[in-house]
Amino acid sequence: MAPPPPSPPSPPSSTPTYNIAMVSDFFFPQPGGVESHIYQLSTKLMDRGHKVIIITHSYEDRTGVRYLTNGLKVYYVPFMVLYRSATFPSVFSFFPVFRNIVLREKIDIVHGHASLSSLCHEAILHARTMGLRTVFTDHSLFGFADAASIMTNKLLKFTLSDVDHVICVSHTCKENTVLRASLDPLMVSVIPNAVVAENFKPPSNPAETSRGHAFGQPAPPARQLGPHDTITIVVISRLFYNKGTDLLTAAIPRILENHPNTRFIIAGSGPKAIDLEQMIEQNVLQDRVEMLGPIRHEEVRDVMVRGHIYLHPSLTEAFGTVIVEAASCGLYVVCTQVGGIPEVLPSHMTVFAKPEEEDLVAATGKAIAALRANKVRTELFHEQVKSMYSWTNVALRTERVYNGISGAISDAEFYGYDASLNAANWSATRGRSGVQSFALIDRLKRYYGCGIWAGKLFCLCVIIDYLIFLCLEILFPRDKIDTCRDWPRKTLNEEKEPGVR
Amino acid sequence: MAPPSGLHQSALPSDFEAPFPPLVRSSTLPTSLPITLPATTLRSFRADPSHLAPEDAFASVSPPRRPSPFEISDKYASGHASGNDSRRPRRARRTKDGARSQSRRRKRFQKLLWVKQSYPDNYTDQATFLENLQRNPRVQPYDFWPLVADSTVIVQHVCSVILFIVCFVGIFQERVNPASVVGVGSVATFLGWLLWDWWVGQESQAGAVDGIARTRSIGGGVGVGVGVAGRRAAPYSEPRPPRRQDSSSLGLPAHNASTTSISSTSNLASAASSSSNLLQDHYPNNRPAMAGYYTNPNPSNPNLLIPGHAHSRSFSSLHSASSQTSATSPAHARQSTDGNGDESRRRAAASPSSSDGGRGSLRIGAIKSASLISFTLLGLSPILKSLTRSTSSDSIWAMSFWLLAINIFFFDYSGSWTGVHKVPVASLSTNAALMASTVLASRLPSTGQVFSLTLFSIEVFGLFPVFRRYARHRSWRYHVVLTVLLVAGAGGGVGMVLGTDEPGWPWRNCLLGMVVGCLITALAMGGCSWWLISLQKYKNEIYGPWDPARPIIISRRHWDDDP
Repeated sequence: MAPPPPSPPSPPSSTPTYNIAMVSDFFFPQPGGVESHIYQLSTKLMDRGHKVIIITHSYEDRTGVRYLTNGLKVYYVPFMVLYRSATFPSVFSFFPVFRNIVLREKIDIVHGHASLSSLCHEAILHARTMGLRTVFTDHSLFGFADAASIMTNKLLKFTLSDVDHVICVSHTCKENTVLRASLDPLMVSVIPNAVVAENFKPPSNPAETSRGHAFGQPAPPARQLGPHDTITIVVISRLFYNKGTDLLTAAIPRILENHPNTRFIIAGSGPKAIDLEQMIEQNVLQDRVEMLGPIRHEEVRDVMVRGHIYLHPSLTEAFGTVIVEAASCGLYVVCTQVGGIPEVLPSHMTVFAKPEEEDLVAATGKAIAALRANKVRTELFHEQVKSMYSWTNVALRTERVYNGISGAISDAEFYGYDASLNAANWSATRGRSGVQSFALIDRLKRYYGCGIWAGKLFCLCVIIDYLIFLCLEILFPRDKIDTCRDWPRKTLNEEKEPGVR
Repeated sequence: MAPPSGLHQSALPSDFEAPFPPLVRSSTLPTSLPITLPATTLRSFRADPSHLAPEDAFASVSPPRRPSPFEISDKYASGHASGNDSRRPRRARRTKDGARSQSRRRKRFQKLLWVKQSYPDNYTDQATFLENLQRNPRVQPYDFWPLVADSTVIVQHVCSVILFIVCFVGIFQERVNPASVVGVGSVATFLGWLLWDWWVGQESQAGAVDGIARTRSIGGGVGVGVGVAGRRAAPYSEPRPPRRQDSSSLGLPAHNASTTSISSTSNLASAASSSSNLLQDHYPNNRPAMAGYYTNPNPSNPNLLIPGHAHSRSFSSLHSASSQTSATSPAHARQSTDGNGDESRRRAAASPSSSDGGRGSLRIGAIKSASLISFTLLGLSPILKSLTRSTSSDSIWAMSFWLLAINIFFFDYSGSWTGVHKVPVASLSTNAALMASTVLASRLPSTGQVFSLTLFSIEVFGLFPVFRRYARHRSWRYHVVLTVLLVAGAGGGVGMVLGTDEPGWPWRNCLLGMVVGCLITALAMGGCSWWLISLQKYKNEIYGPWDPARPIIISRRHWDDDP
C-alpha cells in the first residue's frame, strides 16, 4: 500500500469528495437492517473516494475508537442506553464530544440514520448549529394515532425542520416521512436498501444442495419440480405481532392441509413463538413444520436455499430487505401487500396477498401451483435482483444527494426546476434547500413553525444549543483540537463503475 | 404562493400559527374539497372547507384530490409541485408519434423501487404521491339523540355518587337517621335483587330451551357461543346504538339468556360458586357432546375450535366473576369455587335438569354472603370510626373528592352484556369509591353511623352498578325510568341538604332541587352531546399504507372476540 499522503489528496476528477459522519444509535455489534445499511453504504462511499466515519453509542465493552474492514472508523461514544439500544435523549450532552469528533475529522456532512435514534437527532441539531450539511435517512414507518408515534413524530419534526435532505427507503416511507415531519417532498429522496447479492446466491453446486437433507425426507431444491416433490416454504422473521406471526399461525395448518407435499421452515424468535409451537402441537404438524429458533444473519442464506417459497406475512414494512434476499436466493416470494413491500420486487417474483388469513392461504396456493407447473423461472431471480439492487448504486445515488446539498450540482439540477425562477418568491422549499443559510435567525424561523407551543420550545432549544456552541468555542478553541490523519483515500475508478443513471 | 389549504394544514392543526406556509405540497390539493354527499345532519357544521368533516370519510373520492389533467394524456413529468407549470423545463413534450418515443425518452413514473427510473430520486409525482392516503376512513358521525341516550349511563353514575354524598352529608349533619339510610338502601337492594332473580329466572328458563335447541342445530353452539354469534351478527366495529339493544332484549328476550345468567349477584362472595352452578346447570346436555368434540382427534376439523372456545370462555367468565368477588372476601370465594364448583359439576353431569336447585343454592349463597359482609362491617365499624382521627377534616374532604372523581372517571360505562364484561369490573373505580366511603365514614362520630355509611357505600358502588347495567340490558324503558328516578333523587337530595334547616320546608327544598337537578341534567346532556358533535369537524385521522395492517384471521374470532 502506498504511504499516506501528507494531506487529503485533491480529487482528480471534478467530482468532489466529502468527509461524512454517519450517526446512529444502531450499529455493529448489534445486528439489524439499519446497522448493515450504514455499514454497506459507508463502505461503498469510501470506495468512491469519500471519507466516512461512524458515530454510535458504546456497546458493553466496546467504547472508544475502532476500525472496521476497509478502514472504516467507528466512534463508540459512551452514553446511557435507554431502551432497545436507543440512547437517552439528553438534548445537549452529546454536543461537546460531537464537536470534538467533527473538528478532529474535518467533517462536512453529517448523515443520521433511523428515526428512533436520539443520538442521530441530536447530531443533526448540533451539526446545523456548527454549520454543517445534514442528511437524514428514515428506515421505518410510523402511524399517526398512538401516543408513542405522536411523540416520535414531534421529535422528528423538530430535527427535520432544519435538515438539508432526507432519504427514505421506499416511496411509502417517503410519503410517511413527508407527512410526519411536514417536509417539502422535493427534499426527500427515495433510495432503497440493497442486498449484497454475492452473499445470497442460490444453491449452485451439489455440495450446497445437500444441505437440504438436514431435515426429514431429502428435498434438494431442484429447479424443475415434479408434481409430487416436496415444496418447502421458508419463513424468516422475528416472531412479533407486527411481523404478522398471527397470520402465519392461522395460515400454516390450512396451507399444509390443502397441499400435501409441502413443509415449512420457520426461523426466528420472539414472543409469538409460543403461539406457533402451540399450533404445531395442536395440529400434530411436528414433521411438517420445523422451527429453527433464532439464527444469525450469516445463516439466513443457508436456511433460505433449503426452500422454494419465501412467505413474508408482515403487517408493516418500510422496505423489506429480507424479501429481496429471498428472491436473490432464488425463492418465489409470497408476501402481504403492506407498506413499501409492493414497490420492492417485480410481479413475476412475487405473489401478493392481502393481510388476511384467507387471502394468504390462497396466495400461497397460487405460488405452489405456479411452482409445480414450473412456470416460475426462479433460477433467473438472482441475476435480476443483482441488477436491481446494489450498494454501489445506493452509494452513487447518495452521493448525488451530497452533491446537491453542498452545491456541487446546481439547484436546478437537483431539485428539478430553475432556481432563477424561484429566486424572487422565497418559499420554504428554497429556504430548506441546499443553499439555506446557517444564520441563527433563519434557523429559528424554521423551528418556529413546528407548532404553537412546540415551536417556541424548539426555538429555545436551538438558542441554548447555539450558546453552548459559543461557550465551547471559547473553552475548547478549534485550533487546540488536533486533527487526525486520514486513511489513504481510494480514488474512484470511473471506468470500473458502470454509470447507473 | 397560494394560501395553503387542504391536507397539510388540517393534518397538523398546531401549524396554523406557522409563520410561513411550510409546504408546496398543499397546492397539489384542492382548495375546496368536493362535497358530493347527500345532506346529512353534520353538513351544517362544516364551517371551513379546509377542515375535514366526518362525511369526508364516506366521500367517494378518498383522498380528495384534484385529478391531474396531465396525468393520462401528457405524461406530465414535473419535479415541482407549485403552480407555475408552464415554465417547467422538465416537462415532457407531446410528441407526434405518441407513446413509443415518449416512453423511450421519459418513461412514466412508477412507484417502484426495482425499476430504473428516469427521474431523480427526489422526484415527486403529482399523480401518485399520497394517492393511498385516507382521511377519517373509520369515522362514525354521531347523531344527537343516540348520543344523549348514551350519556344517560354517565348521568346515572354521577347521580348515584351524588346520592351517596348527600346521604353522607345528611348523616354527618345528623339530619338523617343513619338507620333509615341503610334501611332504605338495604330494602332497595333486596328488592332489586328479587327483581334481578326473577329476571334471571325468566331468562334462564327461556335460555335453557333456546340453548338446547341451538345445541341440536349447531353442534358446538354452547350458550356462550350463542352470545358470541348474536354479537357477531351485528356489524363489527359499529358503536352500538341503544335502540338495538332495546329491541333485541324486548323482541328476543331469550337471546343471550344462558350467558347472562352467569353473573347473577356476582358481587357477593358466592358468585363464583353460583355462576359455576348456573353454567353447569344450563347446558347439561352439552357436556357429553362437548367432551366428544374436545377429544376429537381429527386436527383438520375447523369446528373443533368452537366448543373449545366455549369451554375456555365459560371458565374465563367464571374466573372474572371470582376475581371480582375475591375483592370482598377472597378466602370465601376460593373455597366456594373449589368446593361447590366441583360438586355442582358432578351433579350437573348426573342430573340434567337441576336448574331450580342451582338457583336455590344461589339464593342461599347470596343471603349468606350478604349477612357475612354485614357482620364483618359491623365488627369493623369501631375500628373505622377512629381510623383517621389524627387527620384533619380538610384533608379528608379533599381526599374523598379526588377518590370520587377517580371513581367517576374510571368507571366502566360500557354497556355490553356479553362476553366476559358482564359485570363492570373497573377495579380502580370501585376501590377508589370504597376508600372514599371509608375515609368519609371515619369522620362520623358513632359506630352505627359508620356501619350505615359503609354498608350503604357497598350497596351503591358495588351492587348498584351491576343492577343498572342489567336493567339497561334488560329493557330501555327500565333504564330510562331508573335514570329519571336517580336524577330526581339526587336533585332532591342536594336541595334538601343545601336547604335551610327550617322545619316544615324540607319538602319544598326537595322539590325545588328535583326541578333544578332535572333541568341541569337535561341541559348538560344536550349541551355536551351537541358540543361533542360540533367538535367532530376537527377530527382528522390519517391512514395510509404505512399503517400496520389489521390482520383478518378467521379462526381467531373464536378465540378472543373482544375487540
